[in-house]
Amino acid sequence: MKKGQIAAFAIISVIALIFLFPFYVAVLMAFKTPKETFDSFYALPSSISFENFSLSWKASNYLSAITNSLIITAISTTLIVFVSALAGYSIARRNKPFYNFVFIVFLAGLVVPFQITMLPLYKMGKELSMLNSHWGIALIYGGFGVQMGVLFYAGFIRAISKEIEEAARIDGCSTPGIFIRIIIPLLKPVTATVIVLNALYIWNDFLLPLLYLQDKFYRTIPLQQYFFFGQYSSDLNLAFAYAVMGIIPVVGFFLLMQKYIIKGIAAGAIKG
Amino acid sequence: MGNIKRLIRGEMWYILFLLPGLCLFIFAVLVPLIMGARYSFTNWDGLSRTVHYNGWDNYVRAFSDSDLWIVLANTFKYAFIVTLLVNFIALLLALFLDSYVKFKNGFRAIFFLSGAISTVLSGFIWKYNYAIGFPSLFKMFGLDVNSPLGDPNYALFGLILIAVWQGIGAPMIIYIAGLQGVSGELVESAKIDGASTVQSFFHITLPLIAPSITINILLVLTGSLKVFDLVYVTTQGGPAFSTEVISTFIYKNSFANFQAGYGTALSIIFFLILVLVTIVQISIFRRREVEM
Repeated sequence: MKKGQIAAFAIISVIALIFLFPFYVAVLMAFKTPKETFDSFYALPSSISFENFSLSWKASNYLSAITNSLIITAISTTLIVFVSALAGYSIARRNKPFYNFVFIVFLAGLVVPFQITMLPLYKMGKELSMLNSHWGIALIYGGFGVQMGVLFYAGFIRAISKEIEEAARIDGCSTPGIFIRIIIPLLKPVTATVIVLNALYIWNDFLLPLLYLQDKFYRTIPLQQYFFFGQYSSDLNLAFAYAVMGIIPVVGFFLLMQKYIIKGIAAGAIKG
Repeated sequence: MGNIKRLIRGEMWYILFLLPGLCLFIFAVLVPLIMGARYSFTNWDGLSRTVHYNGWDNYVRAFSDSDLWIVLANTFKYAFIVTLLVNFIALLLALFLDSYVKFKNGFRAIFFLSGAISTVLSGFIWKYNYAIGFPSLFKMFGLDVNSPLGDPNYALFGLILIAVWQGIGAPMIIYIAGLQGVSGELVESAKIDGASTVQSFFHITLPLIAPSITINILLVLTGSLKVFDLVYVTTQGGPAFSTEVISTFIYKNSFANFQAGYGTALSIIFFLILVLVTIVQISIFRRREVEM
């Protein structure tokens, strides 16, 4: 048994090293000068210098991209949480044909590929002046996210016992009162799941920002990365320093929220 | 009358709760879907104000478009290989991580990390690993390699490798969750009856985690059939059309070639293919699952 454990540990370590290798190369490149890279791709840099980072920071307007990403992700996830919790509550507590029908329509919407809606969305965005704004793209993310969000909230609320609500209703509490005083305090775990999954998706999304945020002042992180890499393809060390700067916030978020992300993915699979 | 009033008052709040979500959904999914279906019967260029209906012309054209068949072949080849590799490796890692291994959480984080960064980033990092990193690594062993992304014969496989590297995390977590639901007693009693580790895996563990396999194959397959970002940021469909997939093909027709009508017709065909794949898959796997 002991031997088997060591073998398993060895195999998994090797796979882990292969998985980490591209990250290692990125960090290595970010700290080297072009001359050092040319002399030897894998040699360690002669000294630790943050010059590549400060140069790419200056060249990229990183702060504006990260602000845009933060604002858009925050508005969108807030919107998704708000509307999904409300709709999920209605669907969970009203077991009537109309509500079940709406629920199925939400689920069926998940199959529709973005490729169909992409061009109409662009046209609508243009006509309703939703392009190049934070709220415009957030509304679209809201409409996308509510489908999965309702699935999570309805499933979660169905598992909550109705007894407390019924008692409160007899005491004269209205539906909004019940929702605010009784249901909302119980929703923390599912809300954490919905937030982290949507935040990760919206933060990394590329195609919708490519269509909606063409003005460079509104570019999100992935979009700015795309244009930066195109522009600095000859100055690899600078580009990799920029890539590492893009990895840091996501990895930080992931390590902090790991518990919720993993729980959310596992829970989503069971519901699907 | 009083009853009806009470009914309306009772129901009103639930309807009001449902409305914001429903409106957003109608706005962002349903209306564009209907508009898209309508455009697919026109020769709209994507810009002009006037739109001419041309019946089924776009669909007829699609079926005689030889490019479309190449694109579909590329897409399915990519999606099938990615689905197989991702599920195989994810299940293998999940089995290791489910058994006793030190630093379990650390390993799980490492395998998930590559999926947390944006495709733009991973595409960039891999492009230069392929172009400079790997060639100079293999040179140390006297091997001469070039970037697969520049070679029409290997470019698609180059992309598959990146997709596997990025896509392992979520399926692995779903497999771990599935394996935790398999009771140890069942496996133990099979061993007492003389079953080998391999036998008990294929006859007990595997049937019991069939729901996880179903959902993982479904998620990875539909996800990789829809691949866009990875192709767009690395090869743009080249070299020589070898990595052009359905999503990039639709995007190019709709925006770059000003054939919005044709582009949306292609996307409707793609939608029907997706629905078909989903139905076929669910009906195959549902029969094999074990009720516990």
